[in-house]
Amino acid sequence: MFDDRKWLSLFLISPVNTLLILLIAGPSIYIVWLSLHQSTFGADSVFIGFDNYVRLFSDSIFWRATFNTFIVVNVIVYAELALALMLALALNTNFWGKGLVFSILIAPYAVSQVSAVVMWRYLLEPDIGMFNLLLQNFVGAQLNWIRNPVHGLSLISILSIWIHLPFTLIILYSAISTVPLDLKDAARVEGASEWQVFRKVTMRFIAPAVLVAMMFRYIFATRLFAEVWLLNEGGPARLTEVLGTYLFRAAFRYHDFGAAAATGLAMQLLALLVASFYLYKLYKRMQSDG
Amino acid sequence: MDDRNLLSAGRWLILTIGVLWSAFPIFMVVSSSFKPPLDIFAVPPKFIFEPTIENYILLFQEWPEFVKALGNSLIITAGATVLTAVTSLLAGYAYSRFHSRLLTLSAFFMILVRMLPPIVVTIPLFPAISALRLSDTHAILILLYAAFFVSLATWILKTFIDQIPRELEEAAEVEGASVWQRLFKVVLPLSIHGTIAACVFVVIFSWNEYVFALIFTSNTARTAPLVLSEIAGSVEGVQWGVLFAAATVQLFPILIFVLVVQKFIVTGLTAGAVKG
Repeated sequence: MFDDRKWLSLFLISPVNTLLILLIAGPSIYIVWLSLHQSTFGADSVFIGFDNYVRLFSDSIFWRATFNTFIVVNVIVYAELALALMLALALNTNFWGKGLVFSILIAPYAVSQVSAVVMWRYLLEPDIGMFNLLLQNFVGAQLNWIRNPVHGLSLISILSIWIHLPFTLIILYSAISTVPLDLKDAARVEGASEWQVFRKVTMRFIAPAVLVAMMFRYIFATRLFAEVWLLNEGGPARLTEVLGTYLFRAAFRYHDFGAAAATGLAMQLLALLVASFYLYKLYKRMQSDG
Repeated sequence: MDDRNLLSAGRWLILTIGVLWSAFPIFMVVSSSFKPPLDIFAVPPKFIFEPTIENYILLFQEWPEFVKALGNSLIITAGATVLTAVTSLLAGYAYSRFHSRLLTLSAFFMILVRMLPPIVVTIPLFPAISALRLSDTHAILILLYAAFFVSLATWILKTFIDQIPRELEEAAEVEGASVWQRLFKVVLPLSIHGTIAACVFVVIFSWNEYVFALIFTSNTARTAPLVLSEIAGSVEGVQWGVLFAAATVQLFPILIFVLVVQKFIVTGLTAGAVKG
């Protein structure tokens, strides 16, 4: 039945591709059509051209959400890269108990977003959380994430960094552990200081991995939703909304699928834009590999 | 201090801070789940106390749905994992062993789709899933979780199968083995590690996922993270002890899992992210 290799290969990839097309690619394209229509429960969709976009772009909360996403994502990505790089460098030697240290460092990888919010709320609950009491004692002010949007966004960033640091750390650590030792030794023999060895040898060697980690974290961080929604639903007064919560609220609270779809398309284009360089390089390589 | 001592001091400082940062929030919630309610917010914090299981008893008395939700999470995680493993093994084999323009394009499509944000697809899927009467079923979460992880899993399996020598299959072919026999008797036993590396991510994701569960389940298929968020947001004020007990129960199995399979997480992420 499957003598023909071509048909066989198509048959083998069809289950995966069916899942991808039906549940991700199809709906992602359908968003374009939805964003050009007015649609809500129980009513026929009406074509309205770019009205959803006009409405979206004149909504100050949308711009606030975009701005918050931009700030928080950049803080998260660069803080994670810096912390992960330091930890990966510190780990790159043999010492007793290294396995245990590594296990503890990646433990937050197992924690759900819900539990992470619970954990950090416990430490930072206003007036009773132990970190907030310490802050009150030593700084004279608390992290008031319920009332102050800047504090709220700070806690959201801390939470996200805490959950996702293991991902970045794992990628950077495996890259650093492949830097050939003799390359570093050769540089040292030439009289390079440790800092120069790091900059000229290690950094050059791991630069591709850093870029890939950065791209994936940009893409995943832009999806930010659960941390914000579970912490304070984008409050106070929708001042800590991000694109994810804006979309969710539009779709599932206001049943305004047109506006939600327009937001969704913006999120998709943003993700593809960030990924475009990586995808382009990958496509070239796949073509040359045949 | 010379350079070497300074470096080593810096190393220990960074690792100590890193370990405290990662472990402290988990440690506090797990240990406080065994504290009597009055000790939970004691000032200064109590690190030595008489452990009690009072919070756990209250949890199972007041939130019987939590047990059911844990069962749902287990079914959905197992289902999504099996579906991911089977479909990705077939596809990973095809992408490794066959080459054509169409396959290259579809492999590229597979990676491109991985970049798209999950929350966006909920908008068109919501009415479609209601119409198909799939809302609040285990099946819809299994399908969605698998869909978002098959591309990573396929790619990881492809890189593993690439390393299995073709000669082994050719030898089997000479002896008259069909492609299915080669796949299941030759390739599968040699790609067990690849299959585990490909599946750990969907296990962790499915056990912890929140957004899809929030949107597509209401009662029968409600998962543990969702009930956990309800305990955290209950209107009569948060019962912290009960909440910590629930968080600990939800966390414990997956934390053990992550620690046991951490080698596979490292190889999987490296194969899936850096190589493609």
